[in-house]
Amino acid sequence: MIQDYLILSVILFCIGILGVVSRRNVLIVFMSIELMLNAANLAFIAFSRFHVSMDGHVLAMMVMAVAAAEAALALAVVILLHRHKGKLDTNVFSLLKG
Amino acid sequence: MFAEWLFTGFSILSVLGAIGLVIFRHPMNGAMSLVITMISLAGLYALLSAKLIFAIQLIVYAGAIMSLMVFIIMFLNVQTEDLPEEKNRFLYLFGGAVVLAPVFFFLKKVVTSLPGSEATIVGGGFGGVKEVGLVLFRDWLLPFEIVSILLLVALVGAVLLAGKRRMSQ
Repeated sequence: MIQDYLILSVILFCIGILGVVSRRNVLIVFMSIELMLNAANLAFIAFSRFHVSMDGHVLAMMVMAVAAAEAALALAVVILLHRHKGKLDTNVFSLLKG
Repeated sequence: MFAEWLFTGFSILSVLGAIGLVIFRHPMNGAMSLVITMISLAGLYALLSAKLIFAIQLIVYAGAIMSLMVFIIMFLNVQTEDLPEEKNRFLYLFGGAVVLAPVFFFLKKVVTSLPGSEATIVGGGFGGVKEVGLVLFRDWLLPFEIVSILLLVALVGAVLLAGKRRMSQ
């Protein structure tokens, strides 16, 4: 029963990693990171339901707050990079290359 | 029985939405697929009797964060010809899947070897606003304050980044 939820969480996490490593569109990469955070949240909620303790709910809320902060900052950075380079390709954003 | 059917439907929907996010070329299609994943995950939270998290998932994730995402995609006015050339993306996806398969099977083995805990009946107040709030402000007060500072820092940073002017002008 709990194993089904955890396996679903692992599947979603692996799809998120796949999106991060194989796509070049920076918005898709960002949304894949959100997907990985959601998979972690599902594991938190499943564990807290099956151990009948509500600490997992609090941790999931904190993950959501961190995701909201990350969304605000990352999208501001994406807008700046798009204004600077005019592209959404992660290969173009190699400004720190020595 | 009904709960198992709901679990099957929501999990299939969420996995399909995630695959759509990875496969679609245009970020708007990907964002719509991710909204499907978020909403079906909210249904799974409701199945796990996490009432507050269900509401927060719908309002914050599927509502606020994804509408911000869609707003940014429309603000940047992304056309199909502006997107990066990703001719080899199915090849990369296949290679990534081959690399990730051992990780997936390892995690699956770890997860299935957990001591099996069947679902017990929980009280009607489990996961409600009052109970989660009591846990939050009693046991997790310091992390809560740190998260508030983090949100303040993110707010200041977003204003600073968005309001940046060219130094030469």
